[in-house]
Amino acid sequence: MPQAPAAESGSGGTDLRLQKALLERPGISIRTRLILGFLSLFLLSAVVTWAAWAMLSRLEVRLRFLEVADRYTMEIQQARRFEKNYFLYGTGLPDLMEHVENSRKLLDDAKAEAGKVLTASDLAMMQEHLSLYQGLVERLKNVQADPAAMEKQKAAIEADLRSNGSLMVDFALQLAQKERSKVNATLALFKKWTFVFLVALLGLMVLIANFLARQMLGPLGRLTATAQRIATGDFTPIKPARWYRDEFSDLSVAMNTMMRELQHRHDVLVQSHKLRAVGTLTAGVAHELNNPINNITLTAEMLKEDYPALSDSERLDMVNDLVAQAERAQRIVRNLLDFARESEIRTEKLDVSELLRSTAGLVANQIKLQGAKIELDVPAVLPPIHGDRQSLSQVFLNLILNALDAVQKGGHVSIKARPDRENGLLFVSVSDDGCGIPPHVLPNIFDPFFSTKPRGKGTGLGLSVSLGIVRQHGGDISVESAPNKGSTFTVTLPAALVPEVKGEAKPG
Amino acid sequence: MSERLQVLVLDDEPIVGKRLQPALAKVGCDVEVFEAPAEALSRILDKDFHIVVTDIRMEDIDGIEVLERVLGKNPKTKVIMITGYATVEVAREALAKGAFDFIAKPFKPQELRDVIAKAALALGFKNLAVPQEAAE
Repeated sequence: MPQAPAAESGSGGTDLRLQKALLERPGISIRTRLILGFLSLFLLSAVVTWAAWAMLSRLEVRLRFLEVADRYTMEIQQARRFEKNYFLYGTGLPDLMEHVENSRKLLDDAKAEAGKVLTASDLAMMQEHLSLYQGLVERLKNVQADPAAMEKQKAAIEADLRSNGSLMVDFALQLAQKERSKVNATLALFKKWTFVFLVALLGLMVLIANFLARQMLGPLGRLTATAQRIATGDFTPIKPARWYRDEFSDLSVAMNTMMRELQHRHDVLVQSHKLRAVGTLTAGVAHELNNPINNITLTAEMLKEDYPALSDSERLDMVNDLVAQAERAQRIVRNLLDFARESEIRTEKLDVSELLRSTAGLVANQIKLQGAKIELDVPAVLPPIHGDRQSLSQVFLNLILNALDAVQKGGHVSIKARPDRENGLLFVSVSDDGCGIPPHVLPNIFDPFFSTKPRGKGTGLGLSVSLGIVRQHGGDISVESAPNKGSTFTVTLPAALVPEVKGEAKPG
Repeated sequence: MSERLQVLVLDDEPIVGKRLQPALAKVGCDVEVFEAPAEALSRILDKDFHIVVTDIRMEDIDGIEVLERVLGKNPKTKVIMITGYATVEVAREALAKGAFDFIAKPFKPQELRDVIAKAALALGFKNLAVPQEAAE
C-alpha cells in the first residue's frame, strides 16, 4: 500500500522532466556490460596463454641447449677415450683430433643460442678450455714426427692433456646437470601455475557473474516493486536511481508512459462517473431550484399587483425576500457546479466532518424526494486527513446514492465517522437498511462495469472508481451486507498525524 | 350561496403561504396557511375546508398522504396539488387518487386563482370574485 496520499497526478511537466532525466544519463547497455565482462575473461585467458607460450619457448631453448650440452659432453668423453688409447698404444691421434674438432664445431654452432641460457663467462671458459686442449693435441701431433722431442715433452703434454681434459668433462657434466635441474624447475612451475590460473579464472568468473547478476536483479526488483505499487493505484512516475542508462531505463520509460495513460484513463473514468452522479443529482437540484424560483415569482407578482396598496415596510420585506431567494437559488446551482467541475487533483488538509456534512447536503434533495431518512453520526472534531476534496466527496456521495438506491421509501441511511487514533486511521461508514447485496455477487461489486442495477441506470463504475480514489489516498473500502437487512460500506483512510511531506515513491 | 370559500394552503416554504394569503383573500377566500403537514392535518379534522392546496414533497408527510387524509375526512373537498419538476409522476398519481388538479412550481398567483375558481365553480360557488385584473 503506498504511503503517499493521493500521489499528485503527474502534471505533464514533471513527467517530461523525469522522462528526460531517465534518458539523458550516459547509456551503458546490458549488452555492453556482458561484452565487457566476457572481454575481461578473454583478456585474462590471453595473458595466461601468452605467458605459457613464453615459458614453453624458453623451455624449448633450454631443452635444445641441453641436447647440445649432452652431445658436447659425449664428444669430449670420446676425445678423452682416444687420448687414453694414444698414450697406452700410440694409436688414434686422428680420431682424437676429429672429436676435438667436432666439439669446437658444436660449441660454435650453439654459441648463438647458448647466449640465452649460458652466461658469457661460462661460454668463454669452455672455449678457453677447448682451445687449450686443442693446442695441446696440436703440439702432440707436431712432436710425433720427432722422436727425440717426443721423448722429452710427452710426459709434460700428457699431464697437461689429462688435467685439462678432466676439467672440461667436469665442467660440461656440471653444465648439463645445471640445465637439467632448471628445465625440471620450469616444468614444476608450469604445473603449479596451471592451477593458479584455474583458480584465478574461477574467481574472476564468480566476480563477473555476481556483478552482472546484481546489475540486472537490482533494477528487476525495483521494477517489480513498481508494478506492485501500480497495482495499488499509485501512479507516481519512476525516477532515475542510477547514473547510467540501459535497457531497464527503456522499460522504466515505458512504464512511466503506461502509468500516465492509466492515470489519464482513471481520470476520465472518474470524471465520467462524476457526470453520471451529476445526472442523478440534477433531478433533485432542478426540483429544489423550483422552490426559490416559485418564491421569487409569487413575491414579485404580488409586489406588482399590490404595489400602490402596500406600506413601505411591506415592500421592503418583499424585496428582501426576493434577494434572499435569488441567493438561495444561486447557492444550489453553485453547489452542483462545484461538484461537477473537472478539476486537478489537489491534495490538502481536509476536515472529514465538514466534508461529510456538505456531501450530505448535496444529496439532501434526492433523499427528500425518495422519502428516505438520513442520519449523520459524525463527531464535530475528527483528525484531519490529506486528500483531494472533490474526489473524496465523490466517493461518499456515491456510497450515499447507492444506499438510497437500496432503500425503500422511509428507509434509513446513516453516515458514521469514527477515528482510530492509535493506528492513525479514520473510519467512515455508510449504512442502509435496504435490500442488501446477495452473497454471490458480493465479491464482484468493486469490479469495473459490474452493476446490479437495471440496464441504463448504473454505469457499474461507481464502486470501482470509488475504490480507486480511496486506494490513491492510501485507504481501502470494505463491505458487509445481508440480503433484506442492509449493507454497510466502510471507508478506511489514513489520518494525517504528522505534517505531510509530499509523497515521493522511490523506485526501490 | 353566501358562504365564503374556505381555503387551506400547506407548503413547507414559508414564503408561499405568506404571499398566497393576501392573494387569495383579495378574491374573497378565507385562507389558513400551514407549513407543517401534521398541524394542517389536525386542523382539517377540526374544520371542513372547501379547498386544500398542498405541496407534494414535504418532510415527514407527503402530499399524497395529505390528499388521502383530506378525502377520507370529506370526499367533497377539492384538493389542488402543488408539484415540482421531479414530482409530475406523483401528481398524476394524485389525480388518479382524486385530486382536483395540480399546478406546477413555479406558478403565478393568478394561475392558482384560476384553478381555485374552477374548483369553486365545481363546488357551486358561482359568485366567487375572480377578476382577471384584480389588482389593476
